[in-house]
Amino acid sequence: MIRYLIKNNFKLMFRNTWSVAVMLLGPILVIAVLSSAFSELMKSYEGVDEFTVGYRIQEATETNVMIETAKVAREEAGILFYEYPEGEIKDIMEKNGLAGFVEFLDDTYVVYKSADYEVEGITLEYFMNKVMNAGVNVSLQLQEQTDIVLPVEELEFMPAVDSIDYYGIIYIVYFCWCGMICATGVLSNEKKYGIVRRFQVSNISESQNFLGKFIPITLTVTVGMAIATVITVLLYDIHWGNPLLSMFIVFMMIIAGNALGMMLYNISDSLVITIIIQFTIVWFMGFFGGSFETYMFSSISDTLKHLSPIYHGNRALIELSCMGESNYVTSAVLYSVAITVVCSMIAILAGYIRKRGRT
Amino acid sequence: MGDIILKTTDLTKKYNNKVVVDNLNIEIRKGEIFGLLGPNGAGKSTTMNMICSIVHPTAGEIELLGKNPWKQKKEVIHKIGYIPQELAIHGNLKAWENVELFTSLYGIKGQELKNAVNDSLEYVGLLERRQEFAKNFSGGMKRRLNIACALGHNPELLIFDEPTVGIDPQSRNFILDKIKESNKKGATVIYISHYMEEVEAICTRIAIMDNGKIIACGTSQELKKLVNSGDENITLEEVFLTLTGKKLRDYAE
Repeated sequence: MIRYLIKNNFKLMFRNTWSVAVMLLGPILVIAVLSSAFSELMKSYEGVDEFTVGYRIQEATETNVMIETAKVAREEAGILFYEYPEGEIKDIMEKNGLAGFVEFLDDTYVVYKSADYEVEGITLEYFMNKVMNAGVNVSLQLQEQTDIVLPVEELEFMPAVDSIDYYGIIYIVYFCWCGMICATGVLSNEKKYGIVRRFQVSNISESQNFLGKFIPITLTVTVGMAIATVITVLLYDIHWGNPLLSMFIVFMMIIAGNALGMMLYNISDSLVITIIIQFTIVWFMGFFGGSFETYMFSSISDTLKHLSPIYHGNRALIELSCMGESNYVTSAVLYSVAITVVCSMIAILAGYIRKRGRT
Repeated sequence: MGDIILKTTDLTKKYNNKVVVDNLNIEIRKGEIFGLLGPNGAGKSTTMNMICSIVHPTAGEIELLGKNPWKQKKEVIHKIGYIPQELAIHGNLKAWENVELFTSLYGIKGQELKNAVNDSLEYVGLLERRQEFAKNFSGGMKRRLNIACALGHNPELLIFDEPTVGIDPQSRNFILDKIKESNKKGATVIYISHYMEEVEAICTRIAIMDNGKIIACGTSQELKKLVNSGDENITLEEVFLTLTGKKLRDYAE
């Protein structure tokens, strides 16, 4: 029976021209407006000139690594490293106008960034992250006493994302989380015209009822987002890195967003409350996750950023776009899976409890 | 008369402390067209909602086709065809899609479902309009489609909750004829309405409900005899008003 429910609900959602138009035109318009508004800000991010940072090595640290790091940094990223073996790091940075400082400890390193050199600080952080990722390779070379060679071909990573790519990707992600809007027509009709009663006087179970809506919403939003993505790519020349992986991440977030919406609807039993709460949650997740202010320049604490599933999705997709890889892919997918599983279970349970306790 | 198809024993529903259905005892036998009359707020729809396992009873028992619809819902619910008062159809679905959707909820699929959809639409005279969107239908056509959506799974008990509200006499007569036709084919019918002449025309037995209780039950003639007015031409409406009073009932159920 669920096949027919899914099929007809899918038709209903796609025939609701208003919600489909919002899902299609929403990202296209927002991307145009925001990418234009923030293009100057993002330009400064693209073109980082040569800058200077300090470093300090503890005695136990293998100095060869730092020497090679400094060499590669100058050649590939325009970062000039100068050693400052003594003194308070904060004072050194202020006195010498350093954009950042790297302190190499026994088995780790600390990056200090200056508030006056925000872009350079991010660039340094990316650089160090990349170099240290290659650290395993370097360690092996050290053990074998071979000449140390950092994999410089992998260093074409500098996060040179422009405003069009950034907002072009970020707003596809943002609208993925607002997919419940596609279900408004179906859900409001069901309540308004007593269709819910027909479901109640039938053999349909709560899980079938849930899937009968969840799957068509997901299909509708996926098709809508795919069309919006193609249109925005054609209109604005947005660069998605690794299309298959990017689409997978987007799809996982569509599922998570819909599960969240269905959970809110089954708990509140009110479409208005659902939309208000979901949009509020998504707004905060977007606020923390770089949907409005870019996550690179955002002054929001890292803890709050990392709490936002949108941040993980945004960062994974942006890094895939400009670096070709990202450490955030796994966390973005895991976050989405966790939200989907938990919200779906609560949604079905809430529907069941509501059914049992109907007065 | 046939076997008892529906029996309620001391069926009660309270909302907070307000008693909406009060120790209701009714028996409906197979093959009957049972009319349920009552002013607004009498408890008719709440009673039907409890029978259809939409609303949980506060107390009492329901036996539907020998089963408890709350405890054995899966075994009994597919034997009910519920036609709600509202036009419970999707305007953005075509006529056949609406019937397909609601018939499939009873586990019917494939060719059997296709046949059921066509049979239901033909039964209500909409087969030729099957490809049209429900939102483009007239009020009467929507009412007929509303009925078709509850017939596809071939239920034994049909519950009509005011199925002729707001439609023209032609559509009304068509629907009443179809209810009688369904009954002749073996379906038991519960018919809720405010239209006395309709109830009198099609129902084999009528119950008048007020303040959550059945205050009178019998054939049309038996009900008229209850009111000893001395007028041989007394109408069912006069009987109804005599039994339930003329005071306005403005509260909703």
